[in-house]
Amino acid sequence: MLAMVDNEPTRERCRTGIDALDNILYGGIPLSNTILLTGSCGTGKTSLALEFLIHGALNGERSMFLSVTESSVKLLENVIPYDFFDRDLIDCKNLILVDLPVIYERLGLIKAELTMEEVGLLVHSIIDLVKELGVRRLVIDSITSVGYKLKTQEKIRSFILKISKGLSAVDCTSMLVSEVPPGTQAYSMFMVEEALSDGIILMGNMERRGDLLRTLQVIKMRGTMHSRAKYVLDLTPAGVLLVPLLKGGGGGTK
Amino acid sequence: MSPSVETIGIPALDRYLGGGVPKGFTILVVGRPGSGTEFLAKQFASAGDLQTTYFTTTERDEDIISLMKQHGWKTSAKIINIGAKYYETVLARRLEISRYRQEGLRYDDIVKFRDGEAASFEINFLTSLAYEISKLPTPFRVAIDSLDFFIENYDTVEVLSAMRTIKAHTQHSGSLSLITLLKNVHEPRIQSSIEDMADMIVELERETVGDEVKKYLIIQKVRNNPALVGKLLCKFGPSGIHLEG
Repeated sequence: MLAMVDNEPTRERCRTGIDALDNILYGGIPLSNTILLTGSCGTGKTSLALEFLIHGALNGERSMFLSVTESSVKLLENVIPYDFFDRDLIDCKNLILVDLPVIYERLGLIKAELTMEEVGLLVHSIIDLVKELGVRRLVIDSITSVGYKLKTQEKIRSFILKISKGLSAVDCTSMLVSEVPPGTQAYSMFMVEEALSDGIILMGNMERRGDLLRTLQVIKMRGTMHSRAKYVLDLTPAGVLLVPLLKGGGGGTK
Repeated sequence: MSPSVETIGIPALDRYLGGGVPKGFTILVVGRPGSGTEFLAKQFASAGDLQTTYFTTTERDEDIISLMKQHGWKTSAKIINIGAKYYETVLARRLEISRYRQEGLRYDDIVKFRDGEAASFEINFLTSLAYEISKLPTPFRVAIDSLDFFIENYDTVEVLSAMRTIKAHTQHSGSLSLITLLKNVHEPRIQSSIEDMADMIVELERETVGDEVKKYLIIQKVRNNPALVGKLLCKFGPSGIHLEG
């Protein structure tokens, strides 16, 4: 079940550090891709995104988490006690957590809906930070919350296009966390995110024999071949573990 | 002076009004720019024996005090400078924002915010005006110069509601409030609502007759005393406004 594109030139990779995911992606996310990490609540999006950053930071790549709704301080308090997480990563600024509302506030973007000009300003400021700090991995958690401040598809499109262009120019690989209501078919709230991103990793919940399993599936990934199989995801202190979803198994699944 | 009235700060005007302004009155002073409404507010704030609070939205404290001294008035009024606070919180913020927008945001600018700098939220100056007045010991004497600042920055409904609160508090505590307002710059609807609320309206007017500029103090309204409505010739002298003739 692999979507093979054999004759594609091999692009440089950004190894996520999550071994199973890197295997699915034949080595990692193609460098400087902007991908959508999408799923309903409780599917492990933030944990996976954070793990992606921590591995990067451990590897000496400066990584930045842009928190939109939750304060980054609170986020750290609730983070899974990963074996490999080291607070020094934050102290030495290899892992940088920034609250996007602080940027809103600094730039006076206080109105409920931003103008097109302000969207440009916001993207510009984020890219400036990435450049200033030499960020190689960026997570925006979540693009959906940013979208609520942009309101129209046109502005969300502009935001995503500009940010992915800007990030790609400085070889920064990014994950945009996207929230969708449980049970929807769409990969994103405003429908434009999924079309504009270079890749989609879908995370879900699945009930099997009374257990609620987390699942992960790579839907699309530009610049690499990848498995499209569904995996069962386990969040452990050793990080994300993925095992192929066993078909059948007693009729618990449809 | 009778126990039921208070001085407005111009002795001849007190006499004209039958001894002074009835306690509990809210006085509205209107006039075009340069007509002397601010001046009258200061003269008012320097008179009487009640504890006086002077709210300013435009001037510096030292300029207010210096003008009072210059005319030989007492300077015991407590000045609450809303204009300065507005500058510090709102205007300075706007300047900062335009700097960030122009020069770009750096990581240190964000960290600076996180480390201790209080999350800045916009002070509602209208609410704080009503609050400051509500906690004054009664009876009090209050001058607000000017209402224009609040009309420019807040919703009409909010401004009127705050004015009603201040007026009611003034009335029930037997205090005296004087509020200045520019003439013909606001929507007629808000202007008439405020005029309706006021117990007394004093308009400052000038007229050029030949080479001479004549100045008038027009009593537009005195609640329950329409007989007092009239046009009085006045002068701005070294000790303040006084009536002529």
